[in-house]
Amino acid sequence: MSKSRRAVVVGGVRTPFVRAFAEFLKLDTIALGCAAVRGLLERTGVPHRELEAIVWGGVILPGLSPNVGREIVLDLKLPASVEGMTVTRACASGLQAITTAAAAIERGDADVIIAGGSDSTSNAEIKLPQKVVHAAAPLAFGKATPGDVLGLLSQMMPITEILPRMPKIAERSTGQVMGEAAEEMARRNEIPRAAQDELAVRSHHRAAAAIASGRFADEVVPVRTPDGRWVHTDTIVRADTSVDKLAKLRPVFAKDGTLTAGNSTPLTDGASAVLLMSEDKARVLGLRPLARLASWSYVGVDPADQLLMGPALAMPRALDRAGLNLGDVDLVDIHEAFAAQVLSILKMLGSDAFAKARLGRDQAVGEIDPARLNVHGGSIAIGHPFGATGARMVTTMANELARTGKQTALLGICAAGGLGAAAVLERV
Amino acid sequence: MSDFLLQLGQNPQARRLIKALGLPVPIPQTLRRARGPWEERPLADKVIVVGGMGAGRMAAPVAKMLAESGAEPIVIGDALDAFRAPGEAFGRPARAAQLGELPEGKFDGVVFDASELAEPAALRALYEHFHAVTPRLAAGGRAVVIGRAAATAKTPEAAATRRALEGFVRSLAKEVGKRGATAQLLIVDDGAEARGAEVLRFVLSPRAAFITGQPIHVTGEVTGKAPPTRVRALEKKVALVTGAARGIGEATAHLLSAEGAHVVCLDRPEDDALVSKVARDIGGSVLLVDITDPHAPKKIADELRAAHGGVDVVVHNAGVTRDKTIGNMTAEQWEQAVDINLGAVVRITSALLAGVLRDGGRIVCLSSVAGIAGNVGQTNYAASKSGLIGYVEKLAPALAPRGITVNAIAPGFIETRLTAAIPMMIREAGRRLSALGQGGLPQDVAEAISFLAQPASVGITGSVLRVCGGALIGA
Repeated sequence: MSKSRRAVVVGGVRTPFVRAFAEFLKLDTIALGCAAVRGLLERTGVPHRELEAIVWGGVILPGLSPNVGREIVLDLKLPASVEGMTVTRACASGLQAITTAAAAIERGDADVIIAGGSDSTSNAEIKLPQKVVHAAAPLAFGKATPGDVLGLLSQMMPITEILPRMPKIAERSTGQVMGEAAEEMARRNEIPRAAQDELAVRSHHRAAAAIASGRFADEVVPVRTPDGRWVHTDTIVRADTSVDKLAKLRPVFAKDGTLTAGNSTPLTDGASAVLLMSEDKARVLGLRPLARLASWSYVGVDPADQLLMGPALAMPRALDRAGLNLGDVDLVDIHEAFAAQVLSILKMLGSDAFAKARLGRDQAVGEIDPARLNVHGGSIAIGHPFGATGARMVTTMANELARTGKQTALLGICAAGGLGAAAVLERV
Repeated sequence: MSDFLLQLGQNPQARRLIKALGLPVPIPQTLRRARGPWEERPLADKVIVVGGMGAGRMAAPVAKMLAESGAEPIVIGDALDAFRAPGEAFGRPARAAQLGELPEGKFDGVVFDASELAEPAALRALYEHFHAVTPRLAAGGRAVVIGRAAATAKTPEAAATRRALEGFVRSLAKEVGKRGATAQLLIVDDGAEARGAEVLRFVLSPRAAFITGQPIHVTGEVTGKAPPTRVRALEKKVALVTGAARGIGEATAHLLSAEGAHVVCLDRPEDDALVSKVARDIGGSVLLVDITDPHAPKKIADELRAAHGGVDVVVHNAGVTRDKTIGNMTAEQWEQAVDINLGAVVRITSALLAGVLRDGGRIVCLSSVAGIAGNVGQTNYAASKSGLIGYVEKLAPALAPRGITVNAIAPGFIETRLTAAIPMMIREAGRRLSALGQGGLPQDVAEAISFLAQPASVGITGSVLRVCGGALIGA
């Protein structure tokens, strides 16, 4: 690599984000991904033959076809030469896809890549317990003797061990459901219920304003469901919600807790995709670059401690790598898994004690003015199809930088397994 | 070897029945022990009530240690400020409380800083703290008093006050023992407060399950610059464990290896099969040497130097008993016990000090509570085991400038092959005549050895740490 190549974002779209088990019930993650990629190709007008790869992020992957990226290529009848891969890093999978693509372009592996992600909670597979699978194996493979059949039956007790389990977002290592972890973070970081509800309401009002003003029209592509209905817009956003309304909701993860359905992110179906290319290629194709990734960072923390605190470590690291201070950043976009988790991270970033003990800095990373945080709402209002959130955030922020002429945006995403992700977007 | 009463105690109905009938049967509490190597947050979610911290210099290091270790402090008195920043950094906000109105629930630990108390009347604060909190101490809980050395007190009154803490803690240990709880006194020298907090972490953790009623002296005497590593603390270190084929030696080899050390497992050539298996399990090496062999010290030193470039941790665990009353004891029995348990330790250590033991090293000698207290038929054994104490006391100050600590561990009744062979009645007495009312496991001794082998124990040297469940006999 003689001179430094830069990867730029030239466009991004997403499907409407829809509450799980509703309008998108019959669209699996591949179908949702196809909708987003098709929309992106149409909107940007990039010739199909220019596309070299799809890098896709997903969390609930289809068991029999986990390489969603390649399946999208094949389902959309894109040139067979467009290769495809699928990455998974919990809720940071979408951002992972984008940084993987950017790194590949900057390394010279490719010029044009679509990166994105999708998830369909509605189509999560219900797994047979491994005990049943193992017991049934002699019957499925080779000749079963009557003894095998009896053996199978004898192993089916107690019945509770062979019932299929409901999928849930529980940590494999601790068994803790994510909401319980966020509830614990709220308690440990002393985040009151009212502050959580306020953040949730702000998220809804800003997202609703973005929809009403047409701000999201550029980035959301309508999707036609198999029964012929069109879905044009996000279905979770509530323009009319208020702190009073949310205050009436009951805690869902602990009896005397502070997390409710109102200040947590709902289960969502959807997909989003971003078109990345080398700067030179964009010039040749006559596409206007919106932004580039100045830096990124992924971190891990102990899931048994504060599961969702990763961004408080990853964001300062990404800033350092971009040579920026928090004060230099124009916009901040933090994935809202739970209002309590966002507020915990803000508190950590604003704490001198945290900076000294956990980051080896003399001073706090800094306070974030609500006016520049999640300016068009976040996952609580818009929804969170796990693998799709990263590309949604990159799309919205890249467009925001291009529209407003602002310079930089800092992204932060927490993820299961105690992972944290961050990236700095820079207008080009 | 199984402990019937301990098993009975695990049955809640049996426990209730015995209590209801008022039977004079002591039912020991099953001790909670740690699994695997030291974790990042050994005190995760433990509720620790802290008192007396206002004026002392312990508040800041204790606050930092508790928050880092994952504990949830409840602060009695006016020391809350010291707990604020660490609480914020680690998401463990301290709660303030009064003794009269303690928060709901059981407490996993009680810590009281008595280091500023200077006159007998001031001891009342100690009474008030433990009077209020001890009834709420959870099963397997921890009580710790922090004090100063009586010897360094400025006045006889202050010395009396400081020494009073020891009697208090020894009695408290016997009172809370039936709940599986322990009590210790940390005697922390001026300027060694941060090291005191490291030792506090250990005694509050499940790794100190069988240590109770102990005064533990923490000094700033030993050179040690870098802040101690606590997870995989022995990575890149080489440890020698003698008598590693079975029992305490085997358990120690496993624990040191789990902390990242390369363990050289030493035992007699006759135990080749056993010691080789231990070494294979932990990826260590085998050194087959009879330590009574006059050439043994040189052989061991040469091997450690040639194969590993030196050694960092030396655990003198190999030992024998040759019990006979003095009149019936043969010279050979006397010789064997004294030479293996004491003579060989001295000879091997001398050889290793000639350029094999590295700076910052650790020497741990296995003494014995029975040895210290004396026992019928054990004149030879007790002589050797208390001889070791004199040895570590004298050697420690000499090696302090090199950052090397030298300590003895005195196990009480430990459930091993040796104790399983003791006649039943005597075995029962050995188990029950202790604060915790049960025998310890080889793991309990290994945990103490492993702690003394780590950088975090730099404050402890020239000491004898009893791992005896608060045995009623002994020092």
